[in-house]
Amino acid sequence: MTKEAEHTIEVEKLTKRYGELLAVNDISFNVRKGEVFALLGPNGAGKTTTVEIIDTIRTPTSGKVTLLGMDVTKKKHDIVPRIGVLPQGFSSFDRITVRETLQYYSRLFCRMNTDIDGLIGLVNLKDKTKEQYKNLSGGLKQRLGIAIALVNDPEVVFLDEPTTGLDPRARREVWKVLLSLKKRGKTVFLTTHYMEEAELLADTVAIISKGKIIAMGSPEVLIESNANYLVLTLRPVDEKVLKIVRKMGFEPVHDNHKDIKVTVEHTDDVRKMLNTIKDAGASLLSLDVRKPNLEEVFLKLTGEALSNDPAGEVAE
Amino acid sequence: MNLRVVGANLIVSIKSFYREKTAMFFTIAFPIILILVFGALFMNQDNMSFDLCVQDLDYTGSSAQLVKTLELDGKFKVIKLDPAINAAQYTRNNKLNLVLMIPKGYEGSFLQRMALNEPNASVTLTYFYDPSSISVFMKMQILNSVFAGINQNMSGNPPFIRSVETSALAKKYRFVDLFIPGIIAMSVMTLSLFGTVNVNTELRQKGVIRKLSTTPITRTDWILSNILYQFIVAVISTIAMLLVSYAVFRVRLQINAWLPLFIVLDVFAFVGIGMILTRFVKEAQSAAAAANAISFPMMFLSGSFFPLEMMPGFMRTIARILPLYYVNEGLRASMVFDDQMAALRYSAIIGVFAAVVFILGIIATKWEEVR
Repeated sequence: MTKEAEHTIEVEKLTKRYGELLAVNDISFNVRKGEVFALLGPNGAGKTTTVEIIDTIRTPTSGKVTLLGMDVTKKKHDIVPRIGVLPQGFSSFDRITVRETLQYYSRLFCRMNTDIDGLIGLVNLKDKTKEQYKNLSGGLKQRLGIAIALVNDPEVVFLDEPTTGLDPRARREVWKVLLSLKKRGKTVFLTTHYMEEAELLADTVAIISKGKIIAMGSPEVLIESNANYLVLTLRPVDEKVLKIVRKMGFEPVHDNHKDIKVTVEHTDDVRKMLNTIKDAGASLLSLDVRKPNLEEVFLKLTGEALSNDPAGEVAE
Repeated sequence: MNLRVVGANLIVSIKSFYREKTAMFFTIAFPIILILVFGALFMNQDNMSFDLCVQDLDYTGSSAQLVKTLELDGKFKVIKLDPAINAAQYTRNNKLNLVLMIPKGYEGSFLQRMALNEPNASVTLTYFYDPSSISVFMKMQILNSVFAGINQNMSGNPPFIRSVETSALAKKYRFVDLFIPGIIAMSVMTLSLFGTVNVNTELRQKGVIRKLSTTPITRTDWILSNILYQFIVAVISTIAMLLVSYAVFRVRLQINAWLPLFIVLDVFAFVGIGMILTRFVKEAQSAAAAANAISFPMMFLSGSFFPLEMMPGFMRTIARILPLYYVNEGLRASMVFDDQMAALRYSAIIGVFAAVVFILGIIATKWEEVR
């Protein structure tokens, strides 16, 4: 397979400046055909600028971006019919119904045979087809936005923060739609500041902070290579456990009012700690051992939290 | 340019307009309300009649004759006041703008002058008036001219200077006939200007334009569909205005090919200005304010409502640099005066202006990078 065929998107030394502000700072990465690629970072990290340069909304200050083998700054008119975009803060015409909106965008792409009903079914809006856009909830609007991004049966779909501002239930509904896109084998470029979203959907995650990509790989590889430890969560009966753990040389922190969180390097440490607690006559109400998640990887790499807004539970 | 894309955009605009019932109502109703109000105000301008309070302290046959003379040509509807009341006080208390007082001894003085030929015999009528009233001076002017006529008759000499009224125009035009073309020009201007500015800034602010920039629709498709939409709305509004004008005021206007031509030029000129404004004003609210700042002076200074002769000289010069003036005058030339050459001249001027601002508008419209 040639490099062009393998890589749907190639970004090389991309930089974007807004006056004095350096929004994107010399970043390079590739996106393989058929993969879900997530650009993960906090607000203001440069995610939207990056995706909007790749999907031809903006022009770069320097660097080269190739999409479907074409230079995005020179071949916009050839690229646009082959991609689908859900821009950040997507909105549509207030008084146009769901079905009419999809028909409108389909006509813009001069597609005579768009399966409007199929798209409506895909994003689960069957009972809202006659509803005007202004009457839809935030989650339904985003689902319609995703359907619009698919009217031209694109080879690459760009979704810029598709679930930002949605409540956990609406977010799970959007994730279901995105998972079905993944199953269809579409190349999806996703930006998000929700860890669960990236972990659930992405084959490859690139962590961006202050315009720079600081880590990239599959979620598992990122966690493995950047967070080589275990997180132990204990719920003790009394304060005795905390003292024991400290005495053993660990640094326990209160996770909430009831739990203690301890980071350990090996499974042996867990066994040792439990034995010591048992020998001291202390007892635990519950115990949980898990690998770190992307949030912790991000914290370790950047020293800052991704989002104050928890993404909510994963659907499955 | 892709006609299918232009058509899709046009359908969305028309559906949005049709479904926004309140906006649709006011778009069509506002110029009609203006036509009804101004038309009713000025329809009977020639037969204008004023209320006039008269206090006759003389209460004789001669003073009654004078009052009758005032009522004679229908300029005044006389309201007689009780001679016992204080006229000045009454004027103030009842917020009247004018009370005419005929003094006691009017008949005596009249007989002295007429029967005894006493040249120094005269009478003084008093006006109690409110100087802050706008119409009072017109009333006093009419009264003075009536009294001048009476004085001249009493002198027995025929007048030296006489005047005769001959209209320079082939037929007599009413105010409303001249007013309707001005209102059509003004309405098309506001529809095109506000339509362009409001829709574009709102869609840009909401991010719809950004979404559209990721589809094959081009700037030309977008602008062309906007122009077509504004033209359709302008035609609907113009038809509504003309129907009301014919039905209510029986206007005598000529509908010919100049009317759609001037509407097209009006639309192009003000959609162009709207596009330029949209480029520089980011927020929808400030855009509406900016459109107001342009349209309000334009509608008052360019002769849509008032004849230019009422304005001071420098303002008449200003009017002649305003594009709406040429639409007003062009529509009047074609619809009222049947002056083809004047219509051609005005259409050429507004045509050049429309072409220039429209091209500038296209250049000013940013499509790709919207922020």
